Amino acid sequence: MPHTSKILLVDDDRLILKVIAGALSRKGFECYKADSVAEALKILKQAVPDMILSDYSMPKMDGFEFRKLVLMDKRWKNIPFVFFTSFGGQELMQQGLNMQAIDYIDKNTPMHLVVSKVSNILNTIRKQHEQSISELGATARALNLRTVPSEAPHIKGFKLDFLYETFEAYPGGDFIDFIDTDNGHTFIILGDVMGKKWGAWFFSFNYLSYIRSAIRLCVLEGDFSTASIVNKINRVIYKDQVLNNVLSTLSLLVIDHETGEIHYTGAGDVPLILYRSAENECSQIKSSGVLLGVASDGQFSEEVIRMEPDDQLIVVTDGMIDFYGEYGTRTSYPLFVKTITPLLGKHNTFELIKAETFSEVKMTEVVDDRSLLFIQKLH
Amino acid sequence: MFESFKYNDYYVVKIKGREATLKNAEKFKEYVTSIIKEGDHFLVISFEGVKYIDSTFMGALVSLLKYALFVKGDIAVANLNKDIYNLFCLVRMEKVIMIYDKLPDSFTGSFGRYSE
Repeated sequence: MPHTSKILLVDDDRLILKVIAGALSRKGFECYKADSVAEALKILKQAVPDMILSDYSMPKMDGFEFRKLVLMDKRWKNIPFVFFTSFGGQELMQQGLNMQAIDYIDKNTPMHLVVSKVSNILNTIRKQHEQSISELGATARALNLRTVPSEAPHIKGFKLDFLYETFEAYPGGDFIDFIDTDNGHTFIILGDVMGKKWGAWFFSFNYLSYIRSAIRLCVLEGDFSTASIVNKINRVIYKDQVLNNVLSTLSLLVIDHETGEIHYTGAGDVPLILYRSAENECSQIKSSGVLLGVASDGQFSEEVIRMEPDDQLIVVTDGMIDFYGEYGTRTSYPLFVKTITPLLGKHNTFELIKAETFSEVKMTEVVDDRSLLFIQKLH
Repeated sequence: MFESFKYNDYYVVKIKGREATLKNAEKFKEYVTSIIKEGDHFLVISFEGVKYIDSTFMGALVSLLKYALFVKGDIAVANLNKDIYNLFCLVRMEKVIMIYDKLPDSFTGSFGRYSE
């Protein structure tokens, strides 16, 4: 979803509120107007803006008292705060800046410069923020804390690939992995921890560690059943004090290299899309399991998919079925299926899907991190 | 952001606004948790007017359901629009949480969905 910066304007002079809000709105900002501190506090309880622009001098409660209240509340204290005033006294300015206001704007400043200044402040903050995210990401990579591999493995007789895109440059709750066993099986893991950004990413790393260990242990014991493995993972997570309130979807597949069969078990995941080349038809494969960690018995089923040459299988996380459009954000699996269907059965289906769903234009419609797995049986 | 009221034998929590997302999920958890702690263990969450729910909010909802069940209560949802209802069914949430078309006359109690 394209981000519109929201600015809370606080001034007892309604004409000034109207003029500034008009100028900022014309440049694409969304403005909340408050003609008193009491009104501003009411607005803050409903929505957190990207910046607060407040007058110093107001009846009843002034801008300094307002600033103190904002600083005392953990939800609001980090919102960039700028004083907007007609008083140019050095002392007042200093007082404002001492209260961690990041700047002040003189009311006599021409309106186009006010708009430029607001834009510059927000851009600077955004850049600093992006740099912090980038540094954190680099640290995570240096520690080898990956929730998505760099590439898919090569499996004889199959084309296997994936697409992954973060949301607003944050790693999110999606996790992907491939585990090759010594006896001709490849496990494919696609999951999505419910939540967004760093919190979800942290737990997705924990989840993935659990799942990797569970698969390795089960394989060592000769258990290749996806339903059995997911059931064991679920039972552990259900009892885990840290993870049992963090929920996750999971699509677990295993490809048998010898037979070409794929076994699949899902936990609260989006149905798979299967394209049958011989019939030139698509169908959906639903699993019965509920989200990991919800119940001790997750009701996990195991579907067996016999892949024939040129059959294609698509596995996605729910970020792929969320869209931001003219009427706001919505979730529509049928719309996603409708988008994907004409691309299936081509010699370059994966590339077509990438171009269609991960294009720059589509990125403006994204509201979550998104993952897609592509499996095709070759001749 | 939310409003609540007693209705017959249960409590109703209405989500105000068109989206139930990361932005209001934490407050929703705090809000509903405080209602449960005050002794109202059976709740119906009304999504009337809500057009979109994200996975963070859904996670919060399931987490609250687990808490309600832990204290021998239950949580159901009502007034889901078509997209949200379809999403709940798509990810098997209907096995986890009771879904009513509209606010029921009485809370029919747990399905006994959980085998411990």
